[in-house]
Formats: sequence, structure tokens, C-alpha cells
Amino acid sequence: MIPKGIGPRLALVALALGAVALFSEPHRGPFVKLDARELGMIVDSEVDHVTPAELAAWIVEGRSDYRLLDLRSPEEYASYHIPGAENVQSPQLAGYPLLPGEKIVVYSQGGIHAAQGWMLLRALGFQGVYTLFGGLDGWTDEVLYPAPPPGDDPKARARFERAAAVAAFFGGQPRAQAGEAAATSQPVLPKLAPPAAGPVVPAAPRGKKREGC
Amino acid sequence: MNAPLYKYGLFGDEMSLVIAFVIGIGFGFFLERAGFGSARKLVSQFYLNDMSVFKVMFSAIVTAMLGVTYLGWMGVLDVDLVYLVPTWYAPQVVGGLLLGVGFVVGGYCPGTSVAALSTGRVDAMAYALGIFAGTIVYGEGYPAIKDFVNSDARGALTLPEALNLPWGVVVFTVVLIAVGGFYGATLVERRFGGAK
Repeated sequence: MIPKGIGPRLALVALALGAVALFSEPHRGPFVKLDARELGMIVDSEVDHVTPAELAAWIVEGRSDYRLLDLRSPEEYASYHIPGAENVQSPQLAGYPLLPGEKIVVYSQGGIHAAQGWMLLRALGFQGVYTLFGGLDGWTDEVLYPAPPPGDDPKARARFERAAAVAAFFGGQPRAQAGEAAATSQPVLPKLAPPAAGPVVPAAPRGKKREGC
Repeated sequence: MNAPLYKYGLFGDEMSLVIAFVIGIGFGFFLERAGFGSARKLVSQFYLNDMSVFKVMFSAIVTAMLGVTYLGWMGVLDVDLVYLVPTWYAPQVVGGLLLGVGFVVGGYCPGTSVAALSTGRVDAMAYALGIFAGTIVYGEGYPAIKDFVNSDARGALTLPEALNLPWGVVVFTVVLIAVGGFYGATLVERRFGGAK
């Protein structure tokens, strides 16, 4: 049977542990609270993304006031990533070293993981979070292999020439025709030898400097 | 290594069942060893001549609470990830009263009835049939009481949140209540006899 006097002793132990525990503050994991309405309004107002063209302009201009996060697998990242991107997987986002005020652009292959990562980072309190519109697919279509405009509009033509220069900068090339599909439906991503970083501004058509906000 | 182990993916579904089985066996074993396989002993609680149920429950609560607190303090356990049964005030008060009545009448609570069943007690078998019958009645009657069952929802609530007190203060208070309760329970046992 239980030896006599063990009860009071156990009570004393519990009291001592409880007294010490007065000062305890249990470790909390990456739990967050969401302002669902605020986030809903941000989503609705579509200010939560940057277009591939905007991002390309940032890179071309050599801007360093943002962080670019690639949420794909390390293998996919190794085979190609947008210059300057850091590879981080969704489960690690919570502990990833980011600064509260930083401008953060996340992208994935399509857009779903990026959108989910956007939600995670917003929930963690990062204000300046953006997704890359269209993901890496959009980047491939718009920046690496831009399609020429269908019509003969000179403005559109000028835009395309600028896009072609940007594509060359990133190691891609414009498609021959607007409707061209066979050769570029599965465009080969450029080899990972990013062009010399720095403000190498491609020959941009004069007057039109829309991108880059 | 961080806990909760299952939520952090340290083992999968099958392994979690094996672990649940082992823990369940251990739980049942200690219930039985504490004398909780006997309806007589359990019901004595309600006649105030044996406060073992109170003492065992409260020592389990205090032990688990201190364990969670210290593991959480050391950063080994993420207390926010520990599963909590959500709170519905009114439905749970009614459910608790029903369970209490069943406890006094049947002599067991659901866990102890299984422990008693495994030692071959006939009353526990009758009790287990009662559990099945009650489950069926509840399931079939659910549409009628659905609104009430889902009313007054408070989510997963902890004492520090509900009382808006620091974690450590709640821990120390619960320990004080437990130790005071032990002392009081011993006095009650002396008063109403039956205890050594």
C-alpha cells in the first residue's frame, strides 16, 4: 500500500512546482489571429499582387527593397527560379527570417501555394506581402516568352519590343507570332545563369515608362 | 524534438492508433489499480465516505497541468497545439448533469466501465449496453436537439483565456485548490467514515 505520509509530501511538491510555475510563460507556436474582413477587402481590391512585368522591371532596375520568395520545392528551385528569389517551403514560412516592414513577393508555379503563403504571411503580421500574379507560369508567359501583339497598333508594338528586351535580359526570347503555340506551349526555361545583375536597363522605348511603380 | 508529436508529423495515422492503444491500456490498468474498476468504490464518492475519485482525478489534473506547463516553458511542447475539446456552456452543463446521474445510478463513468468490463464485471457489461443504447438514442434524437447541442459555442477555451489571467497564476491557483481540496476531502472522509 501507499506509505504513510506520502500524500502531504506530494502536496508539498505540487505546491513548490506550482509556485515556480507562477513565473512560467509557455512557449507558443506560430499561432496567429486573422482580421478576416481586412484580408477579404485586400483580396477584393486586388492590391495584393504584382504583375510579372512589374517584378521584371524591379529586377532590371536592380532594386533591392523587396524580398522574393520561391515557395516551390528545392528541386524545382534548383532547375529554375526568378533571379534573386530565395527558396522557402510553406511549413518554414512561419520561422523564416523576414522583417516586419519588408516588401515580400511570394510566388509558386501557378498561384495557389503563393496565395496560401500570402495568407500565412499576412496572418503573421507582415503588411507588405504580394503574390506574383500568375506565378512562375505567368512569369514564363509574359516575361520570358512574351507574345507579340495581334494587331498593328504601334503602341502595342513598342510595348512588345520593350518586353522582348526584358525577355532577352532574363535569358528568354519573344515568341515569333501571337498565335504561335507549337514551339512555345512548353517553353524551355532558361539555364540558370542569371544575367549579370545590376541596373542593366534594356533599350526601352522612349516615353513609355509605365512599369516599375 | 517538439510536441505535439502527431501534429508535427513525427508519426502517421497507424502509429497514432498503436500509441493510443498503448496509452489506453495503461490508462485502464491504472484506473483498475486505483480501485476504479469497482462501482462500489466509485459511488462511495457520492456518499462522501471515500473521496478516492476526487483525489485521483485532481492529482491527474495537477500532474498533467504541471507537466504541460513545464514542457511548454522549456519549449518542448507547443501548448497552443494541444487538442482541446471545444466549449459549449449550456449543452455541456446539461450533458455533465446527465453523466453525473448516470454515474450515480450505474456506478461507473464511461472510462471506468470499460476498465471494469475488462475484468469481467457483470454490472459493467450492463453499463456498456446502456452506453450503446444511450448512443443510439442520442444519435436518433439528434435532429430534435441539434439547435440546443450547438448553442452557446465558445470554441476551444482555456482557463487563462476565460478568466483573462496569466498562465502561471492559473496554474498556481489550481494547485492551491487541489491541495486544499485534498485536505478537505480527507476531513470529509473522516467525518463520514469509511476511510482509513
